Amino acid sequence: MKLNGKAATIVFLGALLAGFGFAGQTAPKPLSGTVTLSGAWALYPMAVRWAEEFKKDHPGVRIDVQAGGAGKGMADALMGMADFGMVSREINPEEVKRGALAFAVVKDGVVATVSARNPLLSEIMKRGIPRARFIEIWITGSVKTWGQALGGNPSKAAIHVFTRSDACGAAETWAAYLGKRQEDLGGVGVYGDPGLEDAVRRDPLAIGFNNINFAYDPKTLKPVAGIAVVPIDLDGSGLVEPSESVYATRDDITGAILRKVYPSPPARDLYLVSKGRPARPAAAAFLRWILTEGQRFTAESGYIPVGPEQLEKGLSILK
Amino acid sequence: MRRFADVFARRAMRVSAAVPGLIVLVILLALVGKSRTILGLKSFAGLLFGSSWHPLRGDFGFGPFLSGTLWVTLAAMVLAVPISILTAIYLSEYAPRRVRELAKPMIDLLAGIPSVVYGVWGVLIVVPFVGNVLAPAFGATSSGYSVLAAGIVLAVMVFPTIIHVSLEVFAAVPQSLREASLALGATNWETVRHVVLRKGLQGIIAAVVLGLSRAFGETMAVLMVVGNVARAPKSLFDPGATLPSLLANNYGEMLSIPLYDSALMLAALVLFGVVLVFNIAARIILVRVERRSE
Repeated sequence: MKLNGKAATIVFLGALLAGFGFAGQTAPKPLSGTVTLSGAWALYPMAVRWAEEFKKDHPGVRIDVQAGGAGKGMADALMGMADFGMVSREINPEEVKRGALAFAVVKDGVVATVSARNPLLSEIMKRGIPRARFIEIWITGSVKTWGQALGGNPSKAAIHVFTRSDACGAAETWAAYLGKRQEDLGGVGVYGDPGLEDAVRRDPLAIGFNNINFAYDPKTLKPVAGIAVVPIDLDGSGLVEPSESVYATRDDITGAILRKVYPSPPARDLYLVSKGRPARPAAAAFLRWILTEGQRFTAESGYIPVGPEQLEKGLSILK
Repeated sequence: MRRFADVFARRAMRVSAAVPGLIVLVILLALVGKSRTILGLKSFAGLLFGSSWHPLRGDFGFGPFLSGTLWVTLAAMVLAVPISILTAIYLSEYAPRRVRELAKPMIDLLAGIPSVVYGVWGVLIVVPFVGNVLAPAFGATSSGYSVLAAGIVLAVMVFPTIIHVSLEVFAAVPQSLREASLALGATNWETVRHVVLRKGLQGIIAAVVLGLSRAFGETMAVLMVVGNVARAPKSLFDPGATLPSLLANNYGEMLSIPLYDSALMLAALVLFGVVLVFNIAARIILVRVERRSE
């Protein structure tokens, strides 16, 4: 009942706005209403920033942003619980069939992380870990010690493998890099990006993965205190060459993603998903603003802007 | 006019009183309706005891989650029941009035703490304690995220339920029985053992069952510490997954894979059914206890 009433009010307001638009060529009525976003942790800091900036121009609009994993964002969007789902993985065909309309708004990436207290930290930093070894750690489970992970190191210390428990883009993307899906990732499941980061920080033998904006501190731009970002040994040479050393600061890693040095996946597009075209004027205006002016804030927030053709595509759907 | 108001008020209240009952029914029907899809394709027993959970491959075995739920609940009850009942006995039979009046609201306060707070406490204190202290002491290796950690957190969460109900049960034991026992020369402990506990046994069982159903359905706190691995745990130090954590973690994926939502709804139905049966059983026992003491 409550929802119906709300919907009716919105339709009424929409009609009113449209009416005004046609009646006179006066200044557009100020936007009002609430826009709700729900979903991926990866997009959460960016969405909050966008909401703040957008509200400066449109004080009448309230924007609610909730994090709870990409899966929840998708479900909320498709069931009409949120205007936009924040989704940090590719969209499944089943979801498109149910009306999911995805707008690529920004890019980021997932990085492997270990505790800064890892006994073999300097070795890990020097040699990196190749993709094939990651597969043996997370998927097949055949690599069990840090010695094996570093290929021929005598260490017998067990690797404590961690993954995400909630249906999420970071795990789906990391699994995609390893050629699998989230349900195939082994290891102890921890809830949420902050949870996983905390688990890795406190366990010296842990390995996990995080979205860039949870692995790097937004103030210092260095990896968050207590964790270290694992270099991927891209060419499998057993050594991290200067060209592969792109993890020191957040700007280094986002630059590497932009130059496509860091592979994709684990770099990926982030989407706002709505069920059909966003109907409410405030929601549509917010999305249009993100695809145009909002892009200015991506780099300083630790993200990588999406290509102009993707922005164009989104805007053409909105028209 | 006054008569009209009276009739109206009575009707309105009757309708509102029916609402909670109806809601239970509506939820039940919705769950049954949604689960029928998957039950039409697979056998209930096969789903319930199947050990493989790989939705993308079409394997929806709840075995690991059922087993995880049982392990966690059992660990919690083994820890919580003795401590809670001893606490209740002390408060009811030994403690000075002032201590009792002070302790009661504190215990009830425990019941009011949001479960996510217990979860955070579990992650910060219990998980490292299990991983760094308990597991090495027993010669096991564990990250700390384990059924034991979940059991410890849950035990603290069910204390208030069991203590509170037990206190009421002991209060329902007639004072004259205690006095008769003491007058015969029995010590305080003998009176507790042979009179209070014997008279209150059914009520204590009800208190435990109520605690059990609380533990069985707890979601957030368990989800944060249990490790969420869809494999039946073999020891207390292994990670596991529970039915509620399965629902909370994967609720978002249910639209992406056919049959997934039906499988999750079936899991919810199983959970709902078990908790409902526990609760009804406990209530029936409690009502009986109260009637007898009148």
